[in-house]
Amino acid sequence: MAKRTFKIFRFNPETDEKPSYKTYEIDVQPAWTILDVLNEIKWFQDGTLTYRRSCRHGICGSCAMMVNGINNLACELQIATMKKDPIVIDPLPGFEIYKDLAVNMDPFYEALKRVKPWLINNDPAPSRERLQSQEEFALMGNSIACILCAACTSSCPSFWTDGEYLGPAALLKAFRYTFDTRDHGLDQRIEALDNKHGLWRCHKITNCFTACPKNLNPTEAISKLQKRIVEEKL
Amino acid sequence: MNQLLKQFGTQSGGSTAWIWQRITGLVLVIALFLHYLFLHFLNGGNVTYGEVSGRLAMPLWKTIDITFLTAALYHSVQGVIMNIHDYVHRAMLRVTLVSITWVVGLILWITGIATVIAIKSL
Repeated sequence: MAKRTFKIFRFNPETDEKPSYKTYEIDVQPAWTILDVLNEIKWFQDGTLTYRRSCRHGICGSCAMMVNGINNLACELQIATMKKDPIVIDPLPGFEIYKDLAVNMDPFYEALKRVKPWLINNDPAPSRERLQSQEEFALMGNSIACILCAACTSSCPSFWTDGEYLGPAALLKAFRYTFDTRDHGLDQRIEALDNKHGLWRCHKITNCFTACPKNLNPTEAISKLQKRIVEEKL
Repeated sequence: MNQLLKQFGTQSGGSTAWIWQRITGLVLVIALFLHYLFLHFLNGGNVTYGEVSGRLAMPLWKTIDITFLTAALYHSVQGVIMNIHDYVHRAMLRVTLVSITWVVGLILWITGIATVIAIKSL
């Protein structure tokens, strides 16, 4: 066990005039993650702390938050890898704060809906699955591994200044379907993509790439999507 | 009216401006290289009005400099407009700022073109 200090963002809009940080000293076990620390605080020290969590295995994306200035998943971030003390924990930036580390994710899901993140194909369904070769599958890259945690979108300054901007996660999803050879829905997505709040707000600063806990590269996907849309327009 | 303002400048979606900004960026790289090469290196750094006007009197150099000016102004005007779209979300203010940017760009372009065309060799 080692004692570590955690500075955690606290804000209750019903009682607090402005946000503040509260410091906790925790005896940390060697394999603990940030989520283990939050659970320790919530269950044994301060039950008023609010945060989201679910699967604890880096799949559901619920526990995305900013730790020492970089968005990440609390359940994947090992304390032992972090030398800095205190460790500062903030909610995902760019979203309205509900309470403490829990934010209003509605703008994120609204943006996602605008790119129609589902397979669009009006051809009659085959008797079994719609087959893809390995080469066709490779066109989508690893974009299918996105868990929609919003770490990327929340790290994007274009999203901070324009709440209606689609953001890297929705654009990565649009890339995933646009480059899916089974999908025929680009003409239905193009209005949302080729838009003042769409593709052209990305200025390639790669914050999304740095923040993604699954090592995906939304910046590269956005570049390919921009090229595809320009080709489509020409 | 407000809906019209909200839509102002969004009909083309942004792809046309985006691709032209890349093309003009490429033109700028070539034109800047030629500009520095001929203005500051090949003549030994001796930049005089007579030397510049002598070169600009040639139709080929007039064409190169007009292309340079057009690319530079389009590229920079689009850059400013991109910043406006990034940070200004009140429709009326956005429309005003985008319009001012285009008008200033147009005035600079006409002034520049008139100057380049008017120059004769000493």
